[in-house]
Order: sequence, then structure tokens, then C-alpha cells
Amino acid sequence: MSEPRSVLIDDAAVSRRGFLRVTGAGVAGGSLLAMLDARQAPAQVRGTSLRILQWSHFIPAYDAWFDKFAKEWGDKNGVKVRVDHIPHLELPARMAAEFAAGAGHDIIHNGSSILTRLYHKNLVDITDIYDQIGRKSGGWIPAAKSLVEVDGRYYGIPMFYILLPMLWRKDLFDQAGLKPPDTWELARVAARTLKPKGHPTGIQFSQCADANLNWRSLLFSFGGAEADPSGENILVDSKEMREALRFAKALFDEGMTAEVFSWDDASDNRYLASGVASWIHDAISAYRTTEDTNPPVFKNTFIGMEPAGPGGKRVSVAAANVYMIWKFSKNQQAAKEFLVHVMDNDREGMVQSRGYNMPYLNANYAKPMPVIGTDPKMQILQDFPKIVAFYGYPGPFTTPIQEVVNLFVLPDTFTKVARGEPIEDAVKWCVGEYRRIFARHKRA
Amino acid sequence: MVRRRVPEDLRQAQARMTHVSLHGGPDPAARAAVVSVPGRLATRAWWRSHSAQRLAFGYTLLAPAALYVVLLVGGPFIFSLYLALTDASVADPVATFVGLENFRAAVEAEVFWIALQNSIVFLVVAAIFKGLLGTTLAFLLLQNFRGKKIVRGLVVIPFTLPIAISVLSWKWMYDSQFSVINWALSGVGLIGSYGSPDWPIWLGQPYLALAACIAVNVWRTFPFSAIVLLAGYTSVPPDVLDAARVDGCTFFQRFRHVVAPMIFPILMIGFLFDTVFTLSDLSVVYLLTQGGPGNATKILPVLAYQIGIQAGALGRGAAIALFLVPLLLPAIFLVLRNLKRRE
Repeated sequence: MSEPRSVLIDDAAVSRRGFLRVTGAGVAGGSLLAMLDARQAPAQVRGTSLRILQWSHFIPAYDAWFDKFAKEWGDKNGVKVRVDHIPHLELPARMAAEFAAGAGHDIIHNGSSILTRLYHKNLVDITDIYDQIGRKSGGWIPAAKSLVEVDGRYYGIPMFYILLPMLWRKDLFDQAGLKPPDTWELARVAARTLKPKGHPTGIQFSQCADANLNWRSLLFSFGGAEADPSGENILVDSKEMREALRFAKALFDEGMTAEVFSWDDASDNRYLASGVASWIHDAISAYRTTEDTNPPVFKNTFIGMEPAGPGGKRVSVAAANVYMIWKFSKNQQAAKEFLVHVMDNDREGMVQSRGYNMPYLNANYAKPMPVIGTDPKMQILQDFPKIVAFYGYPGPFTTPIQEVVNLFVLPDTFTKVARGEPIEDAVKWCVGEYRRIFARHKRA
Repeated sequence: MVRRRVPEDLRQAQARMTHVSLHGGPDPAARAAVVSVPGRLATRAWWRSHSAQRLAFGYTLLAPAALYVVLLVGGPFIFSLYLALTDASVADPVATFVGLENFRAAVEAEVFWIALQNSIVFLVVAAIFKGLLGTTLAFLLLQNFRGKKIVRGLVVIPFTLPIAISVLSWKWMYDSQFSVINWALSGVGLIGSYGSPDWPIWLGQPYLALAACIAVNVWRTFPFSAIVLLAGYTSVPPDVLDAARVDGCTFFQRFRHVVAPMIFPILMIGFLFDTVFTLSDLSVVYLLTQGGPGNATKILPVLAYQIGIQAGALGRGAAIALFLVPLLLPAIFLVLRNLKRRE
């Protein structure tokens, strides 16, 4: 057998190996482009299986759509897809169990309690698709990054977040000659006026996710902060914190009943749907529940912008939702392809969630947005991305903050004040808890 | 080697010895006979002796139970000790030894002391009510009435229902606005209408919230206490009870002086189980209040779960959970000491 000979073509010598390399790369590149263009996964994922674990969505129709959507993608790409749904509160325990076992689902969803930083060493670095998705859709909103970034790399795809706007009864406000609750002060005046007429307001002074979100919105809108941008320094010992606590105490005394001490995440939904509440600060699931259960109240329920604090600042703390891929996943390629596919269909997700899912991608804020852009009462939600924030604001959602959230330190501080504890004592307790938790994590 | 012939009287003594040993060991005559025989029997290895073989057989029979305890109780316990002494995290398989740091961190936190206090109150109050209600139910079920078997089946439903379903039903019954308990009380005029100051907020007022959680725990597990008592009572010979009745003992005297002493070991074991179930009950509080309002219902298992699993600090969570052991030890000690005395 003779040695491969060079063949002279247009003054360039090309070996057989070189020819195969160049043409092979060309074919592969072309296939990839064609695949991306056709939105199809590469051939190597065919015949594999993909398991996804996510919460049971508050809009059940969304789960039905998502399961079908995942199956269709699987059928098209020869991947057997299975989606499991569990209550969102069980996700951290399931995640810990799967990590300990080194087996389980390929893609795992986090809702509200985002564990990216805790698990990042065991998650697939998906910076490539994070960047790719961002480039395609005009970039991510500023708050998205802090949820999934660790040391400049990205370990998750922010999927959607849930807003908690003001839901207020326009009929009751009009009857009492009240202005819409565009500021926290106006909301307080409304509560004070409407409570004697049998229509108090309510925000959870209890240990639940909504309490963590709502009191942070108030605190941050009052100019307060939780940790600095580095996430290392605690900022809760502030004048703004004391102002926010003073306001919350007045709001409770003047406009709420003791029921709020027992509330869970769904109690305010029921409060609105029952026709009692003058306003609540909650996700639009409350609005949707009312639509289904009490149409006359729904007709008079309006959605408001996040109320401004005394300095005119508005910060809306939202419940984040993120997808991650386990490092132990045997099908990381298919998992990445699927996440890209989900994000390509982000707008459809908004439609199926009846406007509940808010996008992290700038392009998806083009007005009119699906569902919320066409509903006159919901259009205001399109203006939220500029003011949306997550736990730890203005810092990232770090592991100490996660413990602070899980132990309900901030809502408990507000609860202490509402129950009559002096503000200084409550702040001292709060700061002490934050310091202890931060110090423990630093030592660890 | 010359084989010596065994005399007839000695042969008979050996036969007697074998016979007697089956009932508790050789009699003195047989022992004397054994001593008088020189040869291989006296010098062979201990492990080949009859008593060693009996011992080995006994341990072989015990082995499955011992293995079960070691694997399912001892293993996890040792593992939790290991976790408590390290900086283990749910997301990091490599842990570093930190000594008693996790225990120090636990006792430094105010919430830990609240949780400890609530756990003790929860345990004691629940035990009292379970004892009272369980005993009452057991005696009611001992009476003869139509449909007794059906009623016996029905009373265990709270214990057998999936905990999530039953606790969520209670959550509805305790709802601040739609509580069926409140509406019923209001309907009969015992409390005012919704919104009035005496309208109870079951899960919102600190003491009421803890009482509400204890009530659900009692409701769930007092049928267990009743069944334990019932099982013990039915094992008491009727002629003993009849004799006590003929002697003029009242119902309470019969229970106190005849039944209770006879079924004491069963009662003690039931008490031990119940203590363990109550102290480790995470679900009721977690599903009803998550430990709120303002930590008023926080108990050690809930705190351990929130720190160990939800916040990911497995080492600190394990340390908090291990504080349950000193709470359980006195109960275990009392029960075992009483049982030993009775033996």
C-alpha cells in the first residue's frame, strides 16, 4: 500500500486526511446550523431519555400544556421525555435526595428558593446556552443574572418569575373617593378608610413565601436593602428599615385584622375572592382565582403598579423560577437542547400560564406582551421588569440569604413589630439573626 | 491405647445428667460423675463444648434482630453524629470535622431555645391528652354494643389516613375566614360573627396556634394509645377481673390495682412509642404553620428541617435533630428501668 500522495488543486496541496477533516467540519457545521434553524436536536440524543422535575404550577392548565409540549419535543427528536411535578415546597428536599443518591432527574426546577449557588459544583456549567439564549432575545433583564451566576459562570436558566402586584377593588375605592394605591401611603389610607366599612386589607405576618416577598417589596421600596452587591455585607440595620417597620405597624393597626398572623400563601387569594379585601399584594393567581369563583368581584378588581415608597422608589420582589441540569445527568446534551427549546417558546408559556409567567428575556417585553398586553387591566404588568428584584437585593441570592429566607427572619421582624414589640428591639433581633447566619456561612 | 470399661453406675449417672441438663443442668451426683471421668471430654476446646454451642445457637437466632437494629437504627444514628460534627452541606459530599461547632451554633440561636421549649410543651401536653382520650376510647370499645367491630375499624382512621391529607383538612378547619369550627360555634351563639373580637384565629394567635397543632397530633395518634391499651386489657384473664369484682372492687379500683399492674409492660412500650412519634412529628406543624406565627409553633424537627434541608446546612440540621436524643433518653431510661424491675 502506497503512502497518501498530495494532489495539486489550484496551487494548494490537500491530503486525504486534511480533505476529510475540512469537509467533515463543514458538514458538521452545516448540520448544526441546519439543526438550529430547524430547531431540532442533534442525532446523538436520539434514543435517549430525559427526566424533568418541576413544581406543580399554580395554573394547572400550564402543567398540562408543558407535559404535552415536552412530549412533542421528545417525539420529534427521538427522546423519551418524562416530566414529574411535585409541590414547590418539596423541591429542596428532593434536590438534596437526588444529589445524595447521585441519580434522579436530568433537569431540576427551583421555585422561589433558588439553590444554584449551593449546588453549583454539582450542576452543569451552561454558560454557552445562557449566552446563546440571551443573544437571540435581546439579553436578559438585569435581575436574572444574580440567580444563576457564580464566579462569572452560569449554572441555570432563569425560566420565569412571578410578580406580586397590587390587586385592588376599584368599586370600593371609588365609593369612598379614594385614589388608586399607587404609593404605600395611599394604600394605607385606603385600608384605614375601608376597614371600618368591612373591607380591611391583609399581608401575611406569618411564615410563608408570600410574607418573605411582600415585606421585602415594602422594605426595598422604602429605600432599604438586604445585602450589598457583593452579597457579603448586611444592610438591614438602617433608617429605612425602621421607617418600613413603623409603616407596617400602622398599616396593621389601622387596616388589618389579626387573621394575617395565620395566613399562608393562598389565604389572601381567598380573602380577595370572598369579597372582603379592599386590596391585597399578591400574585395574579389571586386575580385568576377570583375570575373563576367570584365574577362580580373580579370585574371590580384592578391590578396596580408596585406602590412607591416615601422617596418614590418602587421595587417589586418576585418569586424566581430557574431550571438547572445535574452533573450526574447522563443526557446533558438533550437537557440543554430542551431548555433552549423551552426558552424559544417562552411567549407560548406566558399564554398557557394565563399571564402568570413573567419572562426574563428583554425581547419578550415587546408590547403588547402575550395575555397581559391585550387585557386592559393587566397591561400595567408590562412595566415591571425595570423594578423587579429578588431576595438579597441589591446583592445576589447567596446561601446565607437563603437561610435567612428559610427561617423567615424578615417577616418575623415585621410580625414582632405588628404584635407590639418596640422597633429597636425587633431591629436588634433581626440584625443579630442576620449576623449569626452570615458568620456561620463565612466560618463554613 | 487401652480403652477402660465404664462402670454401670457411672453410665446411669451420665444418662441422668443428660436428662437433667435439659431442664436446667446436671444434678450434684452427675457432676461428681463427670469430674471423676478423666479423658478427652475434659480437655477439648471450649468452643466445641455444649454450652458454647448453645451460646452460639442463641446468638445466631438473635443475629437478624441485632443486624436489623444496627442497620436501621445504629447506622443512621452514627451517621447523624458524624454529620453533626462536620460542616456537611446538602450539596457537598466532602465534609470537614468541626468539633462541637454545630451544637454551639444551635444553642446560640434564640429560635433554638424557642423550639426546644415548644417541643417539651408539645410532648407533655400531647401525652396527657393522648393518655386520657386513649384510655377513655379503649374502655368504650370494651363495651358490648351493636356495630362494635365497625366502630373499632373507624377509630383507627385518623391514624391510618395519609398525614398530608388529614393535616390539610385541619388547615381548612382552622382557616381564619372559613373555619368550620368557628362557623359552628358562631351558629350556636358561643362566639360572635366573623370579624368580631372573639372570633378565634386558630393559627394566628401564638398559644392558640400551638394548641391547634397539639390537637391535630392528639387526634391523629390517640387511637394508637387506645389500641395499645385495648390489646393489653384483653390479655388480662377474665377470672382475675371477676375475682376482683366479687371482692367488691369498683371499676377504677380494678383498673388501678389489677389491670394496670398486669399490663404495665405493654403500657410502657406504648408510652415509649408515643413519645418518639410525638417528638419526631414534623408534618403536623410544618403543614399547618411552618413554625409560625413568629416561631410560636416552631419545634426541633421543623427547625432541623429548615436549616438542614431547606437552607442546606446538613451539619447544623443534624446537630439540632440530635438534641431530641437527650429529650428521649429520660423516657427510655424510665421505661426500661421499670420493665427491668418487674422482671
